[in-house]
Amino acid sequence: MEQKIKSIIARLDSSEIAFADVRITNTDYEAIGFENGSLKHYGNSAGSPAIGIRVLINGCFGFAGSKDLSEASVARLITKAKNNAIHGALFQKEKLSFPPLPASICEYIHQPQIDPFTMSKADKMDYLNKLANAIKPAGKIVHSYVMAEFERQEKYYANTEGSYSHTVVYNTLPVMGVISADSGQIQSRTWPGHMSAARAGFELFYQHQFGENTQRIIQEATDLLDAPEIDEDRADIIIGGGHLALQLHESVGHATEADRIFGQEISYAGKTFVKPDMLGRFHYGSEILNIYSDSTDPRGMGYHPMDDEGVPGRKVDIIKNGILVDQQTSRHIAHKLGLQPSSNMKAAFADDFPLVRMTNLCIAPGKGSLDELIRNTEHGYYLDFTKTWSIDDNRNNFQFTTEIGYRIDNGKITGLVKEPTYYGITPEFWNACDAICGEEEWAYHSTFHCGKGEPGQIMRLSHGVAPARFKNINVSVKL
Amino acid sequence: MNETLEYLKAALDKHPGLKYELELSFWQTDFLRFYQSQTNYNISKDMHALNATIYKGKRSYSFDIDAPSIDKVDKALQDALQIIDSLPEDPDFVDLETDLSMAEARQITNNIEAIPLNQKTEILTSLAQSASEHDFELYGTFICNYSGYRMINSNKIDKSTAQSPIYLEVKAVHNSSQVTVLETFGGDNFKLFDLEAFRSRLLTKIAYTNNPVIDVEPGEYEVILAPRCVAEFSQYLAYAMHARSLDQHSSYFEGKIDRKVFPEWINISDDPTDPEMIRKDYGSNAHIYRPLKLIEHGYFRNFLCNQYYHHKLGLPKNGNTASCLKIAPGNSKLDDMISRVKKGLYISSLHYMNMINAKQTSLTGLTRDGTFLIEDGKISAVVNNLRFTEKISRILENVIELEDTAYTIPFSDNYANFDVDTVKAPHARVRNFNITSSTKTI
Repeated sequence: MEQKIKSIIARLDSSEIAFADVRITNTDYEAIGFENGSLKHYGNSAGSPAIGIRVLINGCFGFAGSKDLSEASVARLITKAKNNAIHGALFQKEKLSFPPLPASICEYIHQPQIDPFTMSKADKMDYLNKLANAIKPAGKIVHSYVMAEFERQEKYYANTEGSYSHTVVYNTLPVMGVISADSGQIQSRTWPGHMSAARAGFELFYQHQFGENTQRIIQEATDLLDAPEIDEDRADIIIGGGHLALQLHESVGHATEADRIFGQEISYAGKTFVKPDMLGRFHYGSEILNIYSDSTDPRGMGYHPMDDEGVPGRKVDIIKNGILVDQQTSRHIAHKLGLQPSSNMKAAFADDFPLVRMTNLCIAPGKGSLDELIRNTEHGYYLDFTKTWSIDDNRNNFQFTTEIGYRIDNGKITGLVKEPTYYGITPEFWNACDAICGEEEWAYHSTFHCGKGEPGQIMRLSHGVAPARFKNINVSVKL
Repeated sequence: MNETLEYLKAALDKHPGLKYELELSFWQTDFLRFYQSQTNYNISKDMHALNATIYKGKRSYSFDIDAPSIDKVDKALQDALQIIDSLPEDPDFVDLETDLSMAEARQITNNIEAIPLNQKTEILTSLAQSASEHDFELYGTFICNYSGYRMINSNKIDKSTAQSPIYLEVKAVHNSSQVTVLETFGGDNFKLFDLEAFRSRLLTKIAYTNNPVIDVEPGEYEVILAPRCVAEFSQYLAYAMHARSLDQHSSYFEGKIDRKVFPEWINISDDPTDPEMIRKDYGSNAHIYRPLKLIEHGYFRNFLCNQYYHHKLGLPKNGNTASCLKIAPGNSKLDDMISRVKKGLYISSLHYMNMINAKQTSLTGLTRDGTFLIEDGKISAVVNNLRFTEKISRILENVIELEDTAYTIPFSDNYANFDVDTVKAPHARVRNFNITSSTKTI
């Protein structure tokens, strides 16, 4: 495949093309789903190929992608990509450009502890079947599910600057959940929550202790049916890692994707309240808040040695001591903003156009354990396990509901609250952060399902966080 | 590619104990995305795939093959036959689809070929010129797809269909205030696209923005919901109409068949035959797709039910998927509806809705692309985008009147291969719409 991709690049090395790159991916994917203790779906897609060719002509990108890697297809895609660029340039005022980068060559081969594609299918099915049966409907539990997705992706990248990259990664997404019902209402509990994926293989089920938590979600889903709602208008809240990862994702991650500044995502995903003149001076959060984009950490699903337009992986501070200092950028947008490209251009599959994407976007750890933070909270709520999320066009006004809240009085958990809902304005919220737990609580939380772009792409990415506390947050919305 | 499908069918027919459902599909798109009245990127994509689900008794296994070949089919089939006996059973599976009804043949125009790139850029250049005279720039997408499938199953179904949706979404954004308005065209017949009418509607909306930008306090407002909003709330409500939601005990309509749930002027149907919409020949598992009443004069009539849930839940089977929703118009003129609002809001479009509790149809979301204050029956200000927290059931219960015209609204289905669905809906006047906060931004 290395020869193939380099031969395609050689055909794109012409004076009319200012820059070109080619991606080829080969993806294995497996999905298994149980409902109410029965296997409902076992699906497999082995060796799914994809190719994408992007060319910059007359200051406009044209792109063509396909699942067909044949020679005839490649010739057709080259013609289409060039034609798309040439026609696109007819509706263009500003010619797109960016400085060249030195060529670099990378390879990364990831190997999980338990390869989900080569492990015994009987062992895999037996484990999941037992899990599914452990949470089968009974009592007030009326529905249950266990789902697993496994992915292995091999990717080749080459561009006309001479850069070349070859990677192999495994990603796994495990989740289980139950729905309880009583008197016309339903409640739900999942494990390990909304961002349960990881750069890993089947070992992730053991790391997340699925078997040890079946009774917990059954009990909590049942108890939530009789739990009260939060009755105050404002409260201090501690947000657990799984949900805080989504809070970070929506209100910092997407907000600092610099393509949004220029309106490139208005038609679908939206804009951002962030403006270029905020860099270096805007108090995005409190002084304890440090957020960085780190595509150099192989523990996260956002790791890459080189992004999808040839920029080597980088660790970039986005918020330093509460101040907005940088953005997630493409080469073009970094050039427009006078920044160094942050290595955030990614395409989900080779036949997708690369976009500015989060990689591993993390909150640096603070100090202390979660237990200590709860002990140091006089009154408030510990919220975790995402249920509903929503944020506005500018990433400024968000509202989240979690599956469960734990009431804290005098430093102790004293009960449950159901469907705790809070909302806020992004900078006000992050400036209300007064404590972040330490390294011992810090972990990556990852998703398979970050949607962006048109045609839509679902990106795999990670957030490293530790639980954190936010003071005097609006919890007044009642359903 | 048909040879891979035929090859797999022939191979499976050698195993009389097996049932199967096979789908050979293709999808192409030409996708022009623009921002600041210029091209962002211009994409062509295509794929073809062979998807198979094989059943042995109550055990099943699925595989998907992109860019299928005989070698790949052999390998996938070998894997499937090796594993299927060891899988747990699904006690709820009874049989595959049995509906052999064929859709009427119709001519499908490949709009990727019918609307070439230079025609797209000419249309956009023309619209951008008109918007620029008001200091607005254009952002959006101009998309043509061409897709289809042939589905075969072991119950002798052999059906083919194709479609070629068009989606033009134009957002005009003011260069300094960022006030945004939206105009769209969607369907499968580009002859219905009238550039001058489209331009006129866009410029009319731009004219609404010649008002100050203000914030409003949270609270309950009388609102005029634009057809796009009525359509989107109906799409979310339709989740509760799926038999799967009922099976998961998450449906608002559980126990409500033939019960009055909304005012008598609420009529919602699923109609794949309307020529002003993107038509569909077949629904779930290639069941014929026919018009279906969902809400009739306020009464809930039918769940959307495929073969699987028909057997499991005992509901009538229809194969509908709510991909062609129509909300019937009422009797009122839009101007009269607005004139009857003493103080309220006109909401053009919704953003980032998400269910909080599906059983109760509670959700939160935001307004987008033009929210306006109405005072004494007239639009008097542009309002920052607002958050609402509501129940769809409550919104429909609070509908006071509906416009006498329904409009075709395209929606992008952006989470698999990009697809487009259309919904037809009128404006609605709704009381007590619950605004819970302001975004403080446009």
